[in-house]
Amino acid sequence: MVNKNKVEMKSAPGRDKVEVLGETFEPGKPEGEEMGKWRQKLESRQEKLKYLETGERYYYSKDWYGSEKRKNPA
Amino acid sequence: MAEEKKLSIDPATLEMIEKANSEGVSTAFARAEVMRPCPIGAEGSCCSNCAMGPCRVPLPRGRTETPEEKKKRRGVCGATVETIAARNFVRKIAAGTASHGDHGREVAKVFLEMARGEAPGFEIKDEQKLLQLALELGVNIGNRSNKEIAIDVGKILEADFSRQEGELVFLKRAPIKRQEIWKKLGVLPRGIDREVSEALHRTHMGCDQDYKDLLLHGAKTALADGWGGSMIATELQDIMFGTPAPVASQINLGVLKIDEVNIIVHGHEPYLAETLAVVAQMPEMIEYAKSNGAKGINLAGMCCTANEILMRHGVPIAGNFLQQELAVVTGAVEAMVVDVQCIMQGLVEAASCFHTKIITTDRRAKIEGATHMEFDEHHAVESAKAVIKAAIDNFPNRRQNVRIPDYKTDIIAGFSHETINYLLGGLFRASYRPLNDNIINGRIRGVAGVVGCNNARVTHDDVHVTLVKELIKNDVLVLETGCAAMACGKAGLLVPEAAALAGPGLRSVCEAVGIPPVLHLGACIDNSRILIAATAMVKDGGLGDDISDLPAAGVAPEWMSEKAVAIGQYFVSSGVYTIFGASWPTEGSKEVTDFLFKEMENLYGGMWGFETDPLKIAKMVIDHIDKKRKALGIDKARERVLYDMAMRRELEAV
Repeated sequence: MVNKNKVEMKSAPGRDKVEVLGETFEPGKPEGEEMGKWRQKLESRQEKLKYLETGERYYYSKDWYGSEKRKNPA
Repeated sequence: MAEEKKLSIDPATLEMIEKANSEGVSTAFARAEVMRPCPIGAEGSCCSNCAMGPCRVPLPRGRTETPEEKKKRRGVCGATVETIAARNFVRKIAAGTASHGDHGREVAKVFLEMARGEAPGFEIKDEQKLLQLALELGVNIGNRSNKEIAIDVGKILEADFSRQEGELVFLKRAPIKRQEIWKKLGVLPRGIDREVSEALHRTHMGCDQDYKDLLLHGAKTALADGWGGSMIATELQDIMFGTPAPVASQINLGVLKIDEVNIIVHGHEPYLAETLAVVAQMPEMIEYAKSNGAKGINLAGMCCTANEILMRHGVPIAGNFLQQELAVVTGAVEAMVVDVQCIMQGLVEAASCFHTKIITTDRRAKIEGATHMEFDEHHAVESAKAVIKAAIDNFPNRRQNVRIPDYKTDIIAGFSHETINYLLGGLFRASYRPLNDNIINGRIRGVAGVVGCNNARVTHDDVHVTLVKELIKNDVLVLETGCAAMACGKAGLLVPEAAALAGPGLRSVCEAVGIPPVLHLGACIDNSRILIAATAMVKDGGLGDDISDLPAAGVAPEWMSEKAVAIGQYFVSSGVYTIFGASWPTEGSKEVTDFLFKEMENLYGGMWGFETDPLKIAKMVIDHIDKKRKALGIDKARERVLYDMAMRRELEAV
């Protein structure tokens, strides 16, 4: 499979150069009325519900650890 | 000789005050010079709740009162100054809660009409927010249509206004510990209207005469605003008009255009303004404007209606509360279209000196001398067209005395909770974790909500801007709403480039994420977004388990309206140290003031504060943040220890 992601060569401790994932954002600035809008990236109802489970996990998922659901309860 | 108070720090405002004075136009700035505030009312020592009064029980001026004098400070009915001050305070909370609640009720009504197909100008623009509320409220999603789901969501939220027993549905969003505090204190609001109604009853002559009990109900009523009326309005508006995302625009009177039909929308409720934003772009309306000699239609906002359509459409803002008459003074405004709240009656008199039409559009807010064109949500587009047509017809009536100040500033707005979550964590793991981590590691010292109005008793915008500059300089991330955000927008603080004014830690975070150090979260009802953001910080972990544990504070340095008192109290009741500027409405009673400023911290974890000097306010905020950091154990940088397996085994054995 062809890797479409941009890669960069970086120096790393103990090794000369390593290949790391480069930036993934699109070049340029968004323009027009849609500038900055991100919610339309989620198209189907399933995608939106899935996003709520991860993005708003405190309310809609069992998979999170925070002040009210600690990995090791105090 | 005392130094003369500077009226504003905004050059556009000063230019228009000078124009108004030279043309003999009355403005709030000039009236404030003549109408001094009543010193007895200002300190909350006047009771006009029955016809045996008004009873005035002021503190003696310039000296400490004796116990005998204190005993005599009673109304005809015997009400003490504590009862009188507390009653006045609670009535302000009730009025503020009623105002936001009535806004929320109208939104719920239009939302349900939209869902039932009875308001064809409106639609569901954010399905995701609808699904979120459906999950939260236990509404079945399945394969049902959005409108079917919306009807169930709308009915549940509409019931919050008239519920007699139980508790408001959004209270469950708060951190668990906060809910337990409210339950223990008995301040979980039942229904929004019920708490407002009971507040008015309790403060009636001869009813609740224990100031602590009165203030307890004040806290309950205010919670019905923040976690009730305001939050319902915000959430349902997001579904109908879209959840805000970053948007670029401009602010100040310079956004008015000399060769176009200028229409300013002013007030707080967004339905008409939302429709106007769409209709103003229709080719037939632009053609009609051209046929009347204009090059186009320029829609701009004022006050919180402006914030609503800025956040969602990037419609430019002409100014904040104290600039409303000054917009008319430019002579370039064809119509100022108003809905509810914060609309000065002085607008009509100012407009009489120019060609401007003041158009009232809401059945609840008519003004003598204004043109009333009631907005009908069932025929939203037709209503909007009629308003725009009236403005266009007025374009040829412009007079010679037109002057638009050449001042406007770029701004970025649209930072809802959802968008902050997305910006910090990305699409696949949206999160407040980076914010919490950067607070814990000290790059960000803490968070301050700077909100509220303008007040003609203080230098316009000065307290907001000086305070916020000092806060970001000290690495405090600032969240703003309302006229406070507009003041900072005019000062150039709402763009990412403003990070250059921030301390090195905050600056590095802002540059990494690409956000301004001052985030605009919306209108005054959108202070509920700050509650949600604070809750998300708590739930993400590492900063305690309640809002009162966060290194955070709130400020309304130029407040003036009763809504601000309700907002302040719901922040205090939610655990936030909240500081007001301008004046303090219970200064007539030391006991009541001490209760609000000190004892409330023992009850709610948050308390009130008062200070007029912006630099002193900043110090109070920073000191409080540092106190909270110390309590969390994040006040000092600690050496990081990398545990090897042996150390881990040793730890687990303990």
